[in-house]
Amino acid sequence: MSSSNPITEVSPADAPERGAAGAAFGWALLASELVVLFRRRRTIAMLLALALIPILIAVAVRLSSNEVSAGQGPPFLDRITQNGLFVGITALVVAIPLFLPLTIGVAAGDTIAGEAGLGTLRYLLVAPAGRVRLLLVKFAGAAAFCLVATLTVVITGAIIGAILFPIGPVTLLSGDTISVADSVGRSLLIALYVTVSLLGLSAIGLFISTLTTVPVGAMAATIVVAVTAQILDALPQLAWLHPWLFSHYWLGFADILRQPILWDSFSDNALLQGGYILVFGALAYGRFATKDILS
Amino acid sequence: MSRVWLRWMPAVVVPAVIAVAVVAVPLQAGAVVDLPDKTAAEVLALVSDSTVSSFSGTIEQTSNLGLPDLGSALSGMSTGSSDSGTDAAASAATTALELLTGSHTARVFADGPGNLRVQVIDRLDERNLIVNGDEVWFYDSDSNEATHLSIPAGTEADARAQLEEAKTKAAAELGEMPTPAELADTLLADLDSSTEVTVGTDTAIAGRDAYELRLTPRTDETLVASASIFVDSETGMPLSVNVRAQGQQDPAFQVAFTEVSFTAPDAALFTFTPPAGATVTEQALPDHDGTSDHDFGEKPAGDLPVTVTGEGWAAVAELPAGTVDAEVTASPLFTQVTTAITGGYLFSTSLLNVLVTDDGRVLAGSVPVESLQAAAAE
Repeated sequence: MSSSNPITEVSPADAPERGAAGAAFGWALLASELVVLFRRRRTIAMLLALALIPILIAVAVRLSSNEVSAGQGPPFLDRITQNGLFVGITALVVAIPLFLPLTIGVAAGDTIAGEAGLGTLRYLLVAPAGRVRLLLVKFAGAAAFCLVATLTVVITGAIIGAILFPIGPVTLLSGDTISVADSVGRSLLIALYVTVSLLGLSAIGLFISTLTTVPVGAMAATIVVAVTAQILDALPQLAWLHPWLFSHYWLGFADILRQPILWDSFSDNALLQGGYILVFGALAYGRFATKDILS
Repeated sequence: MSRVWLRWMPAVVVPAVIAVAVVAVPLQAGAVVDLPDKTAAEVLALVSDSTVSSFSGTIEQTSNLGLPDLGSALSGMSTGSSDSGTDAAASAATTALELLTGSHTARVFADGPGNLRVQVIDRLDERNLIVNGDEVWFYDSDSNEATHLSIPAGTEADARAQLEEAKTKAAAELGEMPTPAELADTLLADLDSSTEVTVGTDTAIAGRDAYELRLTPRTDETLVASASIFVDSETGMPLSVNVRAQGQQDPAFQVAFTEVSFTAPDAALFTFTPPAGATVTEQALPDHDGTSDHDFGEKPAGDLPVTVTGEGWAAVAELPAGTVDAEVTASPLFTQVTTAITGGYLFSTSLLNVLVTDDGRVLAGSVPVESLQAAAAE
C-alpha cells in the first residue's frame, strides 16, 4: 500500500539533503537559535532571577547574627559560614524543586509554540531546514539553556561565597576533606548532573510546545508537569512509580559530594533522562511532522 | 494516511523498545546459573573456609516487616529534643526502628581485619563508620558531628574483643546495617538439629554466581518460614541473606550486595581526620552494662536477667517485671508502634513479636502472639 506511493518512502528527515551543505545549515540554524535565545530579554531576566538565589542566601546568612546550627534549614546551609563554596550548592538545592523547572518550562515551552505564536514558524520551514532539524535545533537550544541556568546558579554562588565567606578545603558528606581545586571540579560535575536531570523535562516541554500555538499554555503545562511529578514522588503509596519519574533523581547530585564519588545515581539519572528524551522526542516528531503549519 | 502513520511510528516503537529493555535486562541479570552441585555440608565448608578480607561493594537492605513507615514520626522525635540525657536512648530506639522499615543503601570497604569503612547513604546526608586499626570514628554529616573511640594498647586478643565491641556500639549509634557476612555468621553460629539445611537454586548476585544455602526451621511454631544465604561460589563470602516470614511472598528482611569487588580498596579511605567545624566527641569504650536494653529483644544479652523458654526457632525470651516502666509505655512513639491486646501491648512484625505485659515484663520471640501470651501466663 505505502510502496505504491513513492513520496511516503522519503520522509523529510531523510538523507538526500543531509549533505555537507545541509549540516552546515544545521549549525548555522543552531547558532542563530542560540543567539536569539540568549539575547531575548526574557532569558536574561530568568538568568538574573536565578543568580539572585545564591546572592540572597549568602547575604541573608552573612547578615544574620545567630549561627545556623547543623541540620537546620536547607541542606548545607550551616556549612556556608565555614566555606563560601557551599553557597552555590545550597542554592542549587533550593532552586531545583521550583525555580529551575520554572525557567526550563518557559524556555522549553516556548520552542515551537513561540515561533508559531509569532507567525515565524512557517518562514523557518520555508527555508530548507526540515522539521526534524528544526526540532533538534530547538531541543539543543533548550538543553543549552539548562546548562547555562545551572552554571549561573553554581558560579554566582561560588563568586558571592568567595566574597562574603572564607574559602578553604571543602568537607564532603563522607567527612573527608578535598582541596579547593578539587571542589571546583566537583561543582562543575554537579552542574553537569543537574543539567542532565533537566533534559527530560526539556523534552516534555518541547513535545507540549508542538501541541499548541499559544506559548504561555505550553510553558504553564510544562511547569505543571514538573510540579506534578514531584508531588507524585513524595507520595509513599506510589513507591513503584518513583524510579520512573523524571524528577526522581533531581536531588541525587549529593552523591557527587561523597568520597569516593557514587556514580550510580549519575548513570541511573542519565539513563532515565535519555528515555524521556527518546519517548518525548519521538512524540514531538510524530506531532510536528504531521502537523499542518498554519502560522 | 499511511504517511501520517509512518511519522507516528517512532512514538510507538520507542516506548515499546524501552518497555522490552526494562523487562529484559533484569531477567538477563537474574539468568539461570548452573554451578557444579555441592552438598549443604560442602557449601557450609566453603563459607567457613572463606578468607576474603579485602573487598568493596554496595549493600542494599530492605525490610518488609509489615510495619508502618515511621520516617516522619521518627525524624520529628529526633529533632524535637536535643539536650536531655534520655535523648541517646531515644535516638538508639529510632535508629533501630529506622532499620526495620523501608530500605537502605550502604557502601562497605574492607581491607584486612583492621580496616573497615561503612557509609550509610541517606538522601542528602551520609553516616560513616571508619575503623582503622585501633581507631574508630563515626561521622554524621547531618549533624556534622564526629565521635572518636580509641582502643587502648593491650594484648592482641583483648584489643580484638574491644574493637568488636566498639564496632557494635558504633553500629547501634549509626543505625548501621549488618553486612551479609555478619548476618550469615549469626545465622550459622548456632546451627543445630532444629534446622534443616539444604542447597537451593544457584543464583547470580551482584554479577557473581552464588550457591543458595537454605535454612528451614523444623518446627511450625515460628514466624520464620526460611532463611537463605547466598554464597559466592569462588570466594565463599556470603553475598546476600534473606529471611522469609510465614505467609508472606516477599522476603521480610533482606541484605544483599548489589555490587562487589574483591580488590583492595584505596588505603586513603581508612584514614579519617574530622573536618574543620565538626563537633568532635571523645568517647570512652562502652562498659558492659546498659548498652543493649534498647534493642527490641533482638539479642538477649548475657548481662540481663533473661529467661528463655522453648527451643530453637520457637524460643521465647522473657525479661522480668519492671523492665519497661510506665513512662515508656505512655510515650507517643510506643503507643504508635504497639497495639493493645489482652495482657499488655504487642509490637508485631512479620518476623518478631514483642509483648510488653501490663506488669512491665517483656516477652519476645519469632513466634505467634498466642505462644507469647501462653508464655506470659505461665
